[in-house]
Amino acid sequence: MEPINWHSVFFLLFALVACGFALAVLMTSNIVRMAFYLVLSLAATSGLFFLAGADFVGAMQIMIYVGGTLVLLIFGVMLTAKGPFITMRTKAGEWILGAIVGGSLLAVLLSAATSVRAWQPAAQLPRVAQPTATRLGMGLLGVRVDKLAEQDPTRRAGMSGYLLPFEIVSVHLLVVLIGSAYLARPKKRAVAGPGETAR
Amino acid sequence: MNLLTQPVGVSHYLIVGAILFVTGAVCMATKRNALGVLMGIELVLNGANVNFVAFGSDYLRPGVIGLGLDGQLIALFVIVLAAAEAAVALAITLNFYNNHSTVDVDRADELKG
Amino acid sequence: MDPVSTLPTLFGLAWLLPLVSFALIVLFGPRMGKAGIKAGYVATGAILASFVLSAFALFFVWLPNYDLPAEAHPATAESSAGGAHAGEVEHAAPREKPAITGDWYTLGQFGSLRITIGYYIDSLTVLMFVMVTFISTCIHFYSFGYMHEELEEVTDHEVTLPGGDHLRRRGRFHRFFQYLSLFCFSMLGLVIAGNVAMMFVFWELVGICSYFLIGFYIERRSACLAANKAFIVNRVGDFGMIVGMMIIFATLGTFAFGDVDADGDGTPEPGIFSQVRTPANHHALVVPDGMVKAAAVDKIAKGAEPTPENIQAWREQMEPGGIGRYAYWLWIVAGLGIFCGCVGKSAQFPLHVWLPDAMEGPTPVSALVHSATMVAAGVYLVGRFFPFFTPEVLVVIAIIGCITLFIAATIAITATDIKRVLAYSTVSQLGYMMLALGVGGWSAGMFHLITHAFFKSLLFMCSGSVIHAVHTNDMTKMGGLRHKMPWTAYTMLVGCLAIMGAGVPFAIGLSGHYSKDAILAQALSFKDANPRLGFLFYVAAGGAAITAFYMFRLWFMTFAGEPRDHHRYEHAHESPKVMYYPLVILAVMAIVTGWSIFGFGVQPLLEQARPAGILAEAQGVLWTGLVHPDEHLSHLEEFHVSSTWVATMTGLVGLFLAVVFYGVRMLDPAEVCNQFKPIYNFLMGKWYFDELYNIVFVQPLLFVARRVAEFDRQVIDGIIDGMALVTMIVAYVEDFIDRYFVDGFVNVFADWTYGIAVWFRGAETGRVRQYVMFIVVGTVVMFLLITFYLNYTFAGS
Repeated sequence: MEPINWHSVFFLLFALVACGFALAVLMTSNIVRMAFYLVLSLAATSGLFFLAGADFVGAMQIMIYVGGTLVLLIFGVMLTAKGPFITMRTKAGEWILGAIVGGSLLAVLLSAATSVRAWQPAAQLPRVAQPTATRLGMGLLGVRVDKLAEQDPTRRAGMSGYLLPFEIVSVHLLVVLIGSAYLARPKKRAVAGPGETAR
Repeated sequence: MNLLTQPVGVSHYLIVGAILFVTGAVCMATKRNALGVLMGIELVLNGANVNFVAFGSDYLRPGVIGLGLDGQLIALFVIVLAAAEAAVALAITLNFYNNHSTVDVDRADELKG
Repeated sequence: MDPVSTLPTLFGLAWLLPLVSFALIVLFGPRMGKAGIKAGYVATGAILASFVLSAFALFFVWLPNYDLPAEAHPATAESSAGGAHAGEVEHAAPREKPAITGDWYTLGQFGSLRITIGYYIDSLTVLMFVMVTFISTCIHFYSFGYMHEELEEVTDHEVTLPGGDHLRRRGRFHRFFQYLSLFCFSMLGLVIAGNVAMMFVFWELVGICSYFLIGFYIERRSACLAANKAFIVNRVGDFGMIVGMMIIFATLGTFAFGDVDADGDGTPEPGIFSQVRTPANHHALVVPDGMVKAAAVDKIAKGAEPTPENIQAWREQMEPGGIGRYAYWLWIVAGLGIFCGCVGKSAQFPLHVWLPDAMEGPTPVSALVHSATMVAAGVYLVGRFFPFFTPEVLVVIAIIGCITLFIAATIAITATDIKRVLAYSTVSQLGYMMLALGVGGWSAGMFHLITHAFFKSLLFMCSGSVIHAVHTNDMTKMGGLRHKMPWTAYTMLVGCLAIMGAGVPFAIGLSGHYSKDAILAQALSFKDANPRLGFLFYVAAGGAAITAFYMFRLWFMTFAGEPRDHHRYEHAHESPKVMYYPLVILAVMAIVTGWSIFGFGVQPLLEQARPAGILAEAQGVLWTGLVHPDEHLSHLEEFHVSSTWVATMTGLVGLFLAVVFYGVRMLDPAEVCNQFKPIYNFLMGKWYFDELYNIVFVQPLLFVARRVAEFDRQVIDGIIDGMALVTMIVAYVEDFIDRYFVDGFVNVFADWTYGIAVWFRGAETGRVRQYVMFIVVGTVVMFLLITFYLNYTFAGS
């Protein structure tokens, strides 16, 4: 009897939670419940990230996704949550069509995921994963510390890091925020003055 | 293959990512509520993220040249992108709601051919 | 002041000022004051400034720097009294004459051909500058009076419109002065030109000015025809001139007159004259090396080296068929070619026909362009090229001049148009100049050129004044006008006396006295050396008598006797001051130009300009026995005294006859005319030159042209029309194909496209969810296709 691989156990747990709540999002027709299930699914995904050694990305997943984006979505839910919209039923025919198409896509993806030998599990995983927060931060500032000592010139590609994309994304975010604020502004009503004709 | 005793690999992550992706895609295709569609998009992006992290993980494939740190960085950018997209999509949805008093995406078919 | 640097600047300025005036008037002419009157001020100011500059250059730069030759003017009483200068003359060494040569600007260099704006300034240039600018200035002032009616709207009584009215048009005062300015610029450029190419350019420019000015009254058909005639006849002469220029360039390799340091290496390249009269040969004529080389081109091609010894040997092969003889002929042809241009420009036989017709232009133009300056340019060019001409060419020049002077003088006897009389007189006097040059009298010919310019412009301006008063050119409608217009009458009398050569023998006389005297003396000297060519002298002497006769005939018919047309006489009036002041000034000049005072005068200046080497006796090479005597020999008493008597007496004979016929009317001219009817008709018909040319040249040309036109119209046009028809038929067929086949195909294609688009349109439902479905299905299908049909292998599988 081999010892229980706790890493695998936790992976199984988080994977089941993530996939299960994702299916729940798909199945329920109540918009409020959908939002709640999505939160759980995404949080479980962050657990998967931790298990893959991506501690910083997992933390970001919780903070930005679960803490930010979904709060935003829930705001949207609440702002539009009028009686008829909370549960909008889908026709059965659409369900069947969606199941067929989604099933075929899933089959394609699964076959691709399991058919590559290099993606199969390794014999033994390391005991401890290297923390990545510092390396990621330096990468975003333009220095790839993980490639500094690299001898193989083919692997040295990308030495310059992600400073420029980082800046672009920052500006992008700013633009998006301003744009969304503009889009969501209260409607101006054109009031015809006494001397004017209504437009 | 016993998942309780054997170590997990990239393909396990890919399976999870595929399930999340397909769920999200079907969600987009079936939900009539615009916010439901948005949530489907989040799921799709999340599934993609799982793939990126798995490919970039040194831990899951020690000694193999994968995406490396790049995978995690791309995942970060995807998260940021998702946040931006959510903000804009929400703004569009609210505007749509203000104009049409509904969030049913089937009603928004003014661009039909 | 340093003349080498100062003179080109002064003359360059004097030359360019009229161009500036021309440009200003072209640009702003019609806006210059009322009817462009200020254009006249601009042009007059420019030419006056040119005159001042030229005179300044003569008196304050040229004369202080270059001493006039010591031997005094031989035609004056004091020097001719001695008459024993023979010894001195023979020992006079060839003297380098002062001349300033150079280039202002090189327009371009093509191989060894340099086209430059250059200058060649000797005392002849200076003299010509002063003469041209002086007469031009007088005529500019005169034109203010003569052309004043152009200031307002003009009714041209000589042009009748189809409706029977006379033409009314705007005045062209500014245009007249514009052309005058252009002419002055061109003439001065011609005078100062330092090479043949530049001279040719200005040669043509004066020609085109002449064309414009003859055709000034463009609405008159006669003026149009005259302008065309002048231009076309001149082209004939210019053709010969181009031939001459080509020979000169091809053989001598240069266009420059003098020695110009073109490549800037410090040693000047020899010009045309230095090559013909090399200093090594004491400036005597020698076949230039270039021509010998051109003649020996076959030998050189076969490998003979053109060394100096070889060239000398070739040069001496003068037997028929020899190289030297060939080279000599080349030289003669070049000289005759250049002379051809002069024949055209100076209206010599047989191209003299244009000048009388040119009198259609306004009278100031006739005075300036067609008597004093432009037509003298031909003589000037012969004078310039004098060192280049071989004795054989000179004889041709002399004979042509002789024929011209005789023909023109006889025609002038019977002409009744006052301006035509003067025109023929001009032709005749130009013949005199050519004759003088041809018999070796360089300074005599040039002297006559200068004196003639003054008295002939005076005569023309007087005639203009008369025409201005009586509004007709016809002398038979004048008479007795001296009472009405005394200034004009007596200045014209001075002009007539000057052209007749009046004077007291060996004492004093008018300008023509000296110049005509010099010509006759040289002709006599030539006759002495070549007895067979003695007719030149007799014709010249006879011509002097005829000259006096027709000039006084003109004067008497115009100013003396009873008025023949009382209506015109009543309306006649003296011209305004602006017109007769120039007359007085020119009359004074016509008197004094021949004088030499304290060693200064036209003749000493010309003596200074005499080209090096031409004083020596020149022998004909092909025409053995032909001798051009040294011009100073004509100052010997045996020639000089008799020629003076001959000149004076012939003039007096002519005058006497004129008085008999027209002054006191002892004989009736009409009777004489009837008696010699055939001769009279022959002369009235101007020797039927126009008719002859019409039959020999114009009619055949017109015949050929008509036949060619017919051929054009019937054959060529037919072919073209046929081709057009074929093209039209082809176009109809193509139109049909286009409409039914090409268009049909395109339309079917478009219909298909539209149908397919309509069919696909159903896919665009506008439903977001459906689009997502499409995307997913598309992804799956693509994946499957790639996997199963393209057998694409994924990484690592």
